[in-house]
Amino acid sequence: MVLRRWAGWSLSILDRVASILLIEDDPLVRRGMELALSRLGHVVRTVPTGEDGLCEFRSSTPDIVVLDLMLPGIDGFEVCREIRARGDVPVIMLTARGDDFDVVDGLAAGADDYVVKPAQPTVLDARIRAVLRRASVVPADVRVHAALRIDTAGLVVTVRGEPVPLTPTEMRFLLTVSRAPGRVFSRELLLQEVWEQDYLGDSRLVDNCVQRLRAKIEQDPAAPRYVQTVRGFGYRFGPV
Amino acid sequence: MTGRWRPRGLRSRLVVAFVLVTVSGAGAAAWSSAGSASAALVTSGEQRLAETVTGQIAAVAPGLTYPPDQDAVERLRVAVGPDTVVTYRDLASADGPDRTTAELRAAVRTGQRLVTQRITADGTAWLLVGTPVMITAVDGTRTPSGIEVYTARDLTSVEQQIDGMARAAALTAGLALPLAVLLALLAAASVLRPVRDLRDTARRLAAGDMAARSQPQGVDELADLTVTVNEMAESVQASMAAMQRMQVDARRFVADVSHELRTPLSTLTAVVEVLGMSADGMQADARESAELAIVETQRLVRLVEDLMEVSRFDAGTAALRIEDVDVAVAVRDCLRARRWLDQVDVDTPAALRARLDRRRLDVVVANLVGNALRHGAPPVRVAVQAVGGQVSIEVTDSGPGLPDHVLPHVFDRFYKADAARTRTPGSGLGLAIAQENAKLHGGGITATNRSGGGARFVVRLPAGERG
Amino acid sequence: MKRAWLAVVLLLVGCGVRPSGVVDGGDPPTGVAPGVTLYFVNARGELEPQLRETSRLGSISEALSLLLTGPGTSSLHSEIADTPAPRVTVVTSSQVIRLVLPLTVQEVTPLGIDQIVCTALGVHVQSGGARTMKVQARFTQPAAESDVERTCPLITTGG
Repeated sequence: MVLRRWAGWSLSILDRVASILLIEDDPLVRRGMELALSRLGHVVRTVPTGEDGLCEFRSSTPDIVVLDLMLPGIDGFEVCREIRARGDVPVIMLTARGDDFDVVDGLAAGADDYVVKPAQPTVLDARIRAVLRRASVVPADVRVHAALRIDTAGLVVTVRGEPVPLTPTEMRFLLTVSRAPGRVFSRELLLQEVWEQDYLGDSRLVDNCVQRLRAKIEQDPAAPRYVQTVRGFGYRFGPV
Repeated sequence: MTGRWRPRGLRSRLVVAFVLVTVSGAGAAAWSSAGSASAALVTSGEQRLAETVTGQIAAVAPGLTYPPDQDAVERLRVAVGPDTVVTYRDLASADGPDRTTAELRAAVRTGQRLVTQRITADGTAWLLVGTPVMITAVDGTRTPSGIEVYTARDLTSVEQQIDGMARAAALTAGLALPLAVLLALLAAASVLRPVRDLRDTARRLAAGDMAARSQPQGVDELADLTVTVNEMAESVQASMAAMQRMQVDARRFVADVSHELRTPLSTLTAVVEVLGMSADGMQADARESAELAIVETQRLVRLVEDLMEVSRFDAGTAALRIEDVDVAVAVRDCLRARRWLDQVDVDTPAALRARLDRRRLDVVVANLVGNALRHGAPPVRVAVQAVGGQVSIEVTDSGPGLPDHVLPHVFDRFYKADAARTRTPGSGLGLAIAQENAKLHGGGITATNRSGGGARFVVRLPAGERG
Repeated sequence: MKRAWLAVVLLLVGCGVRPSGVVDGGDPPTGVAPGVTLYFVNARGELEPQLRETSRLGSISEALSLLLTGPGTSSLHSEIADTPAPRVTVVTSSQVIRLVLPLTVQEVTPLGIDQIVCTALGVHVQSGGARTMKVQARFTQPAAESDVERTCPLITTGG
């Protein structure tokens, strides 16, 4: 239900060509992924190392980075942190299945989502599209909650007049929960609405996103005002 | 058990046996020595008394007139002492009651010897001495003089001596008792200490401490046993270490192989999809090949993933990620995602919250239902309910059920119930992984056959604390 | 408990002294006699016993006193000189009967010595003594004959 609604709702703005930076050390995997993602309509640039990736990132500014965590030289986590520090370009990690440490560390380093290797290109494509989808079709208005101001048309968020750069995922999360202040959103619902994931979505994606968002918009992230935790259920915006 | 007391434990048995042997030995020795001593005592006492009587008679005899008159008879009687009767033909002199027995009198008359006889009279033991007095000619020939002396001598003093010896014998046996107990305890301790050492060592070995050994002491059978036990522990330890090494090696090999397979599989996974997307423009044979490549690649991916999952269970690195889960919803989601809802009857309560690993629960349900759909026959039924503090998920089918020889092995890895089924779409690890996942939760899966036919798998998982 | 033990042991040992049958107790005593036997010498110069009816055997000393007083009215004679005090001291040990005679060796002939020895030994045997007993006749004056241990030719050990 929800998925279908989201899918119909987002078609207009999301079926566009995305430029992808793929950082993967194995040449055959790199080439295979490049072939598949290109076939799915993306513009793919590939590099074999983290150093090359950062270099390429600076010069070309892709829409999204797909990052293998196991890299020679500087590893995927470092690359992820580096990219996060330079702006709001989303990052999808490629991790080994069941390697929970990788997932936790990668999300902490600022990744928006992860896909388990060997990754099916169609799955990866769906995640890329979900992450890139900014909730730009919400009614154009300006929501003001205390010092927080959300401009849903221009997708600009300011705290006490200062603009706050948010990743697409963070933006979408904030738009989703601020739509109905006081309402409790379960993690499952948020995973479906924000990440477009099925029932097995990883709730740590939500928790990590909330942490990063709080660091950006809350005065005291330890005592959040806007995005509040409802223990045992999920999250709630305000009420402020 | 029988109501009779029996000594339990080696120590008490040793002590009891030792004490019985020692006391009965001491008793027997004391008894036999007391017996022979008392016999000797009686004999020598009697002899002494007889000699005394002889001596008393011989001392006065030369002074007696012969043939004797009443006066001589009286004198002789007085010389022999109290309780004496002296007769000569129709003369007689008596003192005290005449205890002489008829047989003694006959023996004196016929045998012309000094004779004795023990009797008991008035509660006292008496020695009767009867003798004729002889006339000895100068040439040494003896003829009876016709004088007969009968006297009774009190044996009370001899009896008292014998009683004293018996008491001493009893005392000896009694004194042996504490000594025997002490010796038995010492002997038991010396035997039991190595036995206890061995027992402790065996316990430690049984508890898994393969380095446990006993120090052999001395050169007896127990020391031999200790050495043997040590050798046994040594060889068990060595073979266990070798087996563990082999097992670790094998598991690491599986993990390494799976890991190495993942890289080429990543490429394959990527490119077969390209092939699939391009299949429409291909010729029929190329398209079928492409489809086969896609299907087999997906199967290979599943197999490798299952192998790696098993490796994680073996390595103990599989971790639970506990979340609040509505089991009813999760089961339906699992079936819906695999498009099984129309093939399976689902019976769940409206909501059943539990603290579980959502993904592992999904794996368990998917494997069991997939197995039922593949190997059983419809209708396949999934029933979820809360039983006590547990969540019970029952998956049943209506097929022939599991053969008896399969039941014990149904959760074994790569176990194929039927050689013809070797090419099933499953990896052969599904049920094993399901079981490992259930166990990781502290639960388990049991496989049985329904009475009406068909297999029944029941998963039980602790519901966990809600929080 | 202690009494019970004692009773058991006593029972095993045999309850002290039990009655018995008639048992031989050795040689009967002897020593009664109608008279005493004295030895004198007959006409052929041989020793010959003479029963003196004293109605009892008496002691060796008494017998020797009778011997020293002579044979009386008889065909026998004594080869021992008369002595005013016919008293003989007799000391009996286990091997030897020692006679202290009121005579000198000159007052007795060898046959007379035999008379004395045989009479003493006869009384000894009749009293139940052993026939192997030796007799020592000591005289009032020192003489080699005093130390000789003698036997009676008529009372042989062979019997």
